[in-house]
Amino acid sequence: MEPLDEVEEGELELPAEPMHLNMGPSHPATHGTVRIVLELSGETILKSDVQVGYLHRGFEKMCERGTWAQVFPYVDRLNYVSPMLNNVGYALAVEKMCGLVVPDRCQWYRMALGELARISDHLTCDGAMAMELGAFTPFLWFIKAREMVWDILEEETGARMTHSFGRIGGMASPPTPDFKAQCRAALPTIVELVEEGEKMLLKNRIFLDRLENVAPISGKDATHLGWTGPCLRAAGVAYDIRKSHPYLKYDEVDFDVPVGTNGDTLDRFLVRLAEIRQSRRIIEQSLDRMADDGPVNCDDPRVLLPNKLDVYTTIEATIQHFKLIMEGAKVPKGECYSYTEGGNGELGYYIVSDGSGTPYRIRIRPPCFQIVGGLSKLLEGRMLSDIVPTFGSLNMIGGECDH
Amino acid sequence: MPTFKLDGKPVPFEPGETIIHAAWRQGHDIPHYCWHPGLSAPANCRMCLVEILPKPGQRPLNLDVLEWDAKLGDYKAVQKPKLQPSCYIAAADGMEVLADGSEHVRKARHDVQEFLLLNHPVDCPICDQSGECKLQDYWLEYGRYQKRMHDEPVHKPKGVVFGPTIVYDAERCVMCTRCIRFMDEVAKDPVLDMRERGNLNEIFVAPGRQLEGHYTFMTEHVCPVGALTTQDFRFKARVWFLRTANAVCQGCATGCNAHLDYDPRYNKAYRYRPRDNEKVNKFWMCDEGMLTYKEAHDDRVLEARVGSAESPVARALDEARTIFGGVSAGSIAIVLSAQHSLEDNWALREFGTVLLGTENLYLTGKPDGYEDTILIHRDKNPNTRGVKELAPSAKPFRSLLDDVASGRITHVVALGGAAPTDAAGLRPAKVVVIAAHEGPLTELARVVLPATSWAEQGGTYVNAKGLAQASEKALEALGSSKPAWTLVADLAIALGLEVPWTKLKQIRARLVPASEGSITSGATASGAAIGQGSAE
Repeated sequence: MEPLDEVEEGELELPAEPMHLNMGPSHPATHGTVRIVLELSGETILKSDVQVGYLHRGFEKMCERGTWAQVFPYVDRLNYVSPMLNNVGYALAVEKMCGLVVPDRCQWYRMALGELARISDHLTCDGAMAMELGAFTPFLWFIKAREMVWDILEEETGARMTHSFGRIGGMASPPTPDFKAQCRAALPTIVELVEEGEKMLLKNRIFLDRLENVAPISGKDATHLGWTGPCLRAAGVAYDIRKSHPYLKYDEVDFDVPVGTNGDTLDRFLVRLAEIRQSRRIIEQSLDRMADDGPVNCDDPRVLLPNKLDVYTTIEATIQHFKLIMEGAKVPKGECYSYTEGGNGELGYYIVSDGSGTPYRIRIRPPCFQIVGGLSKLLEGRMLSDIVPTFGSLNMIGGECDH
Repeated sequence: MPTFKLDGKPVPFEPGETIIHAAWRQGHDIPHYCWHPGLSAPANCRMCLVEILPKPGQRPLNLDVLEWDAKLGDYKAVQKPKLQPSCYIAAADGMEVLADGSEHVRKARHDVQEFLLLNHPVDCPICDQSGECKLQDYWLEYGRYQKRMHDEPVHKPKGVVFGPTIVYDAERCVMCTRCIRFMDEVAKDPVLDMRERGNLNEIFVAPGRQLEGHYTFMTEHVCPVGALTTQDFRFKARVWFLRTANAVCQGCATGCNAHLDYDPRYNKAYRYRPRDNEKVNKFWMCDEGMLTYKEAHDDRVLEARVGSAESPVARALDEARTIFGGVSAGSIAIVLSAQHSLEDNWALREFGTVLLGTENLYLTGKPDGYEDTILIHRDKNPNTRGVKELAPSAKPFRSLLDDVASGRITHVVALGGAAPTDAAGLRPAKVVVIAAHEGPLTELARVVLPATSWAEQGGTYVNAKGLAQASEKALEALGSSKPAWTLVADLAIALGLEVPWTKLKQIRARLVPASEGSITSGATASGAAIGQGSAE
């Protein structure tokens, strides 16, 4: 190829045909395997075709093979940045079928753990978004804060990410004695780190220019696309399942639903940061109200495993253990839809039982499937460089999107 | 028909029928251990207790009891209805019975369950009954309590050998006496009884005797818990891995209905369990029949053979073409088998009479054997009557030997390896056998083609009473075996004949008109029942 400086200015011609460009499925800025086929005129996107499904594992089908309790590890891997929210959502769905209500202590515990997971989800999304735009330091601060959340979750569940901690009718184990102290120690530091990162980013002209008024969406359009969660709230619609259809004890705690104004990428970024602060409030109230002792699990031998020592020494507990492990807890015949506020929005479980110990059908409504469905609309007419912040702000998680 | 009400739902009953029996016929299972629809009712397990409401205007039958009152910190006198064993009380017209709907009944079941498990060993992990045990089922349904007694449980003999087939574990036994009553009432050999009292109670075999005979496996099958286990199935498989197919026993012409339990992971049959059929075997099966599940694997023809050498099926078919080249139809014998299903026999009959055009039909099968008045039939073939009705002109195997000796028959196509007599007389003829099992015919055959057994291919069998019954497929075909009717078609094609049927459905559709009115003269009213379900 001849060097450009030897070519006369007038000889350079841009191609008249639109250029087709593949982004992904394996691209450093698409956290998750997704393929975007772009039609470019210069650097302007004429058309984009977003193709999901590269992480499809058929987990809804896998759920139909084991027992109801064996679904927990699968739901861990939906939105793997906030597995606790998926666990709690699934447990609530099955409990709705069984007509079970877990003890108060468990409800507060589930709320505290769930909000911790939400903080980790939002930190990851905003941190990664900043990093993809070249701001590496805030990313490290956000991840440092996320590590503190994960340390708490690891202490409680034994695993940093895929906890499999939910149980039908309760949790795998009661809160550790240090749970409250750990949370109370970590939360202010987490918020400090968030603030620090925020100061650094929101005074940065380059960062702001790349987010402000990029890929805006109206509240009406977002609603029509089936958007929920932070992305919808950034468009000005104050729909939060925790407020609109409260579950657990969300109606007893005091928190606000932050909303954006023009639904652009900056709003989505800011709403998540604001929600981290609200989650902190919820966790603090939950910790205050959660009893230090008392039962965490329902006292129902049809769904919960007996004490292990009794299994080895008494026939009654052996039978209970045998029935639950070999046949699974029997969920009454019927169907239900149960929904909670996941990290990205409405996480719904539509479950059908034929009365046996194995799910007949589990259908999951992952929030980011609908949200990614709106991506190509957002990208139309934007510049190529807008893809990265826009995609990042939608927080697509392949694990839950592809199903 | 008179009716009574069970938890508000009407249940019709025959006069004299017990509450539990009438409910059972309607599909409402009142929990029970000792009651069995085929046996007398001793009313000793107390699990089937129900509350019978007094007739209007009558005084209720109540008991004075002391009940602990936690608030008072003392016992107080209350009245409770006297519960009745539903296995012993005859239903009466208009009677109102409460089972699940009565809190007293639920409490009674809970307490009975607690008593039964009081001294029960922690055996589920090593018990063969685990997974199909009533103690487990009822604990979850009606018990749901944790142990309150923390003393050492009573220990009793374990692993007591009752006879060549049955092992007894006294600790697991709930003393329902079903095994005792079965041996007494059905097998007519009262060799079992119980001794001692209370928690020392145990089942024992009459001194000087063993639990033996033709119906010992049934004692294990009627046992609602894991107290009796068979030497055959003991420690062989865990029941939750087994799948079941509704089969028909191949042991004799009675055609007992059975569940053939197999493990799909290993493609292996593990046991037979009797399948209730009021018209054939009621609830029972004999020991010999229960063990015939083994024939799915034992003595099988799994590869084609030419002479005594194994060879691919195509090669064996080539050999058959050579053998049959230029042979006149009149000197070919078609030997149907009472061991094979109607479908297989129909295909072979069509092959002989229609495609080849020979009228030389013969019938083979296993020789007769032991018989009794309970279930065991003299004829040891499952389908003798079916084949006889399919081909009334078929001559007995003996005349085949005569015809071969006289030189009238020089070539034979036979189904099944079995023969009722010594088959050495067939040696002068050239024999092609399509068989699932080894037998006298496969020994002297020039060509052997491997057929699937009843376990690997659904089929219809007509028992001695003329009842056509379908047996379901359980296993995938073993070795290189194929259904016999497809091998018949392969053979016909190899001989250059045109086969007008290619699917089992076509055979079954043609089977019906040919056998209407005769084969189905048993309990099934219409010919459509053939091949479409059991005769229940």
